[in-house]
Amino acid sequence: MTIRSPQNLVAGLALLAVAAVALLSTGDLGAERFYSIGPALLPRGVGTLLGILGAVFLVGSLLEQGEALGRWPLRGPLFVFLSVAAFAVSIRTVGLALAGPLVAMISGAASPDTKPKELLLFAVVVTALSVGLFRYVLNLPIPILIIPRVLVL
Amino acid sequence: MTDLLGNLALGFSTALSLQNLGLAFIGCLVGTLIGVLPGIGPIATITMLLPITFSFDPIGALIMLAGIYYGAQYGGSTTAILVNIPGEVTAIVTTLDGHQMAKQGRAGVALGIAAIGSFFAGCVATVVIAALAAPLVKLALLFGPAEYFSLMVLGLAFAVVLARGSVPKALSMILLGLLLSTIGTDIETGAERLTFGLNALTSGIDFAVLAMGVIGFAEVLKNLEAPEQRDLTKAPIGRLLPGMEDLKRAAAPIVRGTLLGTALGILPGNGAVLGPFASYALEKKLAKDPRRFGRGAIEGVAGPESANNAGAQSSFIPLLTLGIPPNAVMALMVGAMTIHGIVPGPLVMTKNAKLFWGMIASMWVGNLMLLIINLPLVGIWVKFLNVPYRLMYPAILVFSCIGIYSVNNSPSDVMLTAVFALVGYALLKLGFETAPLLLGYVLGRLMEENLRRALLIARGHFTTFVERPVSAGLLGAALIVLVAAILPAVRQRRAEVFTE
Repeated sequence: MTIRSPQNLVAGLALLAVAAVALLSTGDLGAERFYSIGPALLPRGVGTLLGILGAVFLVGSLLEQGEALGRWPLRGPLFVFLSVAAFAVSIRTVGLALAGPLVAMISGAASPDTKPKELLLFAVVVTALSVGLFRYVLNLPIPILIIPRVLVL
Repeated sequence: MTDLLGNLALGFSTALSLQNLGLAFIGCLVGTLIGVLPGIGPIATITMLLPITFSFDPIGALIMLAGIYYGAQYGGSTTAILVNIPGEVTAIVTTLDGHQMAKQGRAGVALGIAAIGSFFAGCVATVVIAALAAPLVKLALLFGPAEYFSLMVLGLAFAVVLARGSVPKALSMILLGLLLSTIGTDIETGAERLTFGLNALTSGIDFAVLAMGVIGFAEVLKNLEAPEQRDLTKAPIGRLLPGMEDLKRAAAPIVRGTLLGTALGILPGNGAVLGPFASYALEKKLAKDPRRFGRGAIEGVAGPESANNAGAQSSFIPLLTLGIPPNAVMALMVGAMTIHGIVPGPLVMTKNAKLFWGMIASMWVGNLMLLIINLPLVGIWVKFLNVPYRLMYPAILVFSCIGIYSVNNSPSDVMLTAVFALVGYALLKLGFETAPLLLGYVLGRLMEENLRRALLIARGHFTTFVERPVSAGLLGAALIVLVAAILPAVRQRRAEVFTE
């Protein structure tokens, strides 16, 4: 048995996994009630269809020539993910004034072209602009700077 | 007819108020700016800028968002011509001849004809929307839940066919979108579905979160992977106004592109994307000398650009009359309307007449603004292209994070967006296109709601969907569309249209 389309093989497996999660985790919800349908009907129905499609991809990947899986460089996704996650963690704890540059600097690590000093300067300017725009021009309730027990802006 | 004129008068008096003019102007300007910057499409742009509209009244907010949308489209075409980077899918065709024209020193004429074509298309589409709105709303009011459900099935069927790439993959994405839409607390029974006990998921996934992660951030990741190459033409932009010769060549394609784009844009399921491709194929077929295409033929810019703009505008029709968003951008509009307390649907036209007609009139105003403001500013837009991507993407991320956080003031939304960025990236790598996923997600909730309502009315009999003639007709059409997509002959045509 040879794998003719690695991309579709993985795609099929991924769909099967999603289908399994959908079907297993909705097992305890009712699908049918008297004159209406229960909350689990749609997720289970869609999950089943996804499972069937997953199986089709899986079988197809063994029969039909297709695309290779390609490169999966991890540097970009890792640092972009970390930077956005860092914003989520820091926006309420330290505020935008620090969260902004933090996002920029962490995400900078995602690209080999980044020049740290240039980026830091740029990040400070971008953050200052967004503080002015979002907090003072548009009056959005976004925390600017929080130093615990000392200052909340 | 007098009704129509009266309505348009109401619309224009709303759109031409000083505040709304200003908002339309800012929207067009900001939209163009961001559309020019490669790597941010209209979806990410609108998500990023959504918080900006919070402090305005609903009419102003929607006018500004619509302006951002056209502006981004227009900006996308500008980069397609000048740097060979389509700002978004619909501008891909413009790169073919537009960039060739730029290389021949005729960038200005290409930009000019794109703007003129877009403006013409915008005018026609505005009238079409105004004329079709009232009858469609009447029709929509006759629709019961069963008809709505079947109409959305038809929309999803179109989305499968109109997506690029393989049919089963597009189908998978629609289904995945439907599945994601069921996450959260079930409205009718209060049962938690697929939340895995996570608090962040109990109220469901916000559309902005999903769109920004799967489309916006995934796009950044894709761009990071490809080494930066910008083919910024060194040739001067040249004069902006096309000469008589050019205008003569472009006139017929503009008209044909407009009609094609308007018609396709009305289709539920993002027909607007197809417009430019279809127009290009048509012009090439009609041309006396098809070899000129791909070498700077002005028809290859005029037709698709008109179709693009016409489709962008007529895709408002399903949203404004039926309350069904035909694509991801319109889905964001739904989000914006909901934030401002407006439920999209047939009632908007009567209940919020000022908003409805004001928005339609503002489309025309926006198009005029793009024409007279943006053309002279092209030089400035080009300067923005010199900002290197290594600085651009961190800025995109900062603004996007602020935007996502501000939608609900929720850090967990930001976290979810980060997760969806990885999901979107993985899907791209596996050859899935994510646009159908968003559509499935948007229509998912509406569909489930209508499905359950229809079954409730029919006392649980699924046969209601085929017993009601309109519903049966719509489902039949969906079936035909799907079957046709699998037929080898159509499959081949479809591949042809998208590869051109």
